[in-house]
Order: sequence, then C-alpha cells, then structure tokens
Amino acid sequence: MFIINCPYCGERDQTEFSCGGEAHIERPKQPTELSDDQWAEYLFMRKNIKGIQFERWNHIHGCRKWFNVIRDTSNDKIHAVYKMGEKPPIKSL
Amino acid sequence: MLSFNSPINEEKKYNDLNIIEVEPIIKINLRSNKREFSTKIGKILSILPPNEANTSSGNEKFNLLWLSPDEWLIYSNDKEMSLDDQTNLEDKLFNEISKLNQGAVTNVSDHWVMINLNGNKVYDLLSKSCPYNFNDFKNKKGSVAQTIVNHINVILHHKQENNLNLFVRRSFSEDLWLWINDSARFI
Repeated sequence: MFIINCPYCGERDQTEFSCGGEAHIERPKQPTELSDDQWAEYLFMRKNIKGIQFERWNHIHGCRKWFNVIRDTSNDKIHAVYKMGEKPPIKSL
Repeated sequence: MLSFNSPINEEKKYNDLNIIEVEPIIKINLRSNKREFSTKIGKILSILPPNEANTSSGNEKFNLLWLSPDEWLIYSNDKEMSLDDQTNLEDKLFNEISKLNQGAVTNVSDHWVMINLNGNKVYDLLSKSCPYNFNDFKNKKGSVAQTIVNHINVILHHKQENNLNLFVRRSFSEDLWLWINDSARFI
C-alpha cells in the first residue's frame, strides 16, 4: 500500500488506482509490414524489472484520468508523476 | 421518462448520525473541454463550473461538482422541482451544449442514488472502510471527493459541517445502504 499523487486530484491511496503497465511504448508506424513475432513483441511483451520503471496508471476510482508514474518496483518509491503527453521529468536514475 | 425507482426509501437514525435517501433529485453529467462551455453553463444555471480540483460551486437551486478536469455533475437542491422544469433544464442544456458540439449532457438521475449523512459520527462511519484522508475535506465547505467506501465507488459532497451527500450507483446502493446501517451500529 502506498500513496500516489494524482496530477488532477492530489494525494490518494493506491487502492483508488489501477496500473496500466509499462509506459512510452510507441505504436509501430507501419503495422502491416511487421512479422507476427514483431507484432506480438509490441502487443504483449512488457518489461518487469526490479528497479526504476516508467508506468501508466489510471485513477480509476477518482477522476478516471490516465497519467505516468516513475516508480521503483523494489520499494514502491515514486520518483515522479506526470500527465499523459508530457515528457518524463527524469530520463533515468 | 425518469422513473426514480429506489431500493432504499427509508430513513435511519442512530446516535449522532442520521441517514436518509434524498429523492427525487435531478442529476446531470456534463463533459466538455471547450472554452465557451463555462460561459454557457453560467448563463443557463447562473453558476460557473469549478476549475479547481475537488471543489464545487452552487446556488440555492443547484450544485455543480468537479469530477475531473473535463467532467462535472449538476444536482438539484429542490425535491419539489416539477418534472416539466427538469425536462426543460435538460433540454436547454442539451440544445446549448450537446447539439452545438460544445460537450456532452447526460441525464444521470436514475444512475446515481443520493444519500444524505448527517451527524457528528459521519467521518467515523466513513473511515471504517474508506482510504480517503478526510482532514482537509471536513473543514472545507463544498469539497468534493470521489473515492471508494466498502469497495464501492462513491462521490462525496461536503454540504455543511458534519453533513454530506453521498452519491452511489443505483445497482450498488442497496449493498452500500446495508453496509452503512450495519457499520453505524458500532460507532
């Protein structure tokens, strides 16, 4: 259990949020030219690292907005929260 | 046509806590990210939609709650508001906003059930199963919070000190009503 600072509503308990997985995955520009393996890589394969991870979160029981979170998966420390479409305030730690 | 069917329709009184469903009340959901939207709402309702998060605005007739940066909820204070007046209000909003592509107007009167909680033990009751921090909420009149109570999504609107309106989806309302009454026995 940890507190997430929603960029719209403010600090709320983690139970109000839903994690949407890894952030900043770009959709391939020419999907028809991809092989099945490349398409599957884009669709399904996600990093699940121990350490700093860039993630998408949704305040599902609040304002229902999506935003990005930089979280350390080893201790749930949140390093930054930023809105969709914004550039990450930290490139890597 | 709205039917305002409710599974509750009763009032419960405990020590320092009164719980009653307030109905029939018109509730309208507004969504827009257009600039002219605020002025149009201001002209129709004489209230401007709040831009600040977790706040509300209101006058004698209506309350306008902030739900998200592009979403608001209107509800009426007047239980005696006639069905004609309600239909006129909805039509006016629909014609000025939805029809002109300024946003979306949805009548959610039957979607939400409004329960009024009143008494010194209100926050003791909610704190039994709500992760929200009420420290700022209970001191600021007009505060709005969307959170979960007993795993059920609710909207809370601070009306006065120790007096708040709780909105719950109709299909969850009976479950929450039973939980509220069960929990109220032990506070």
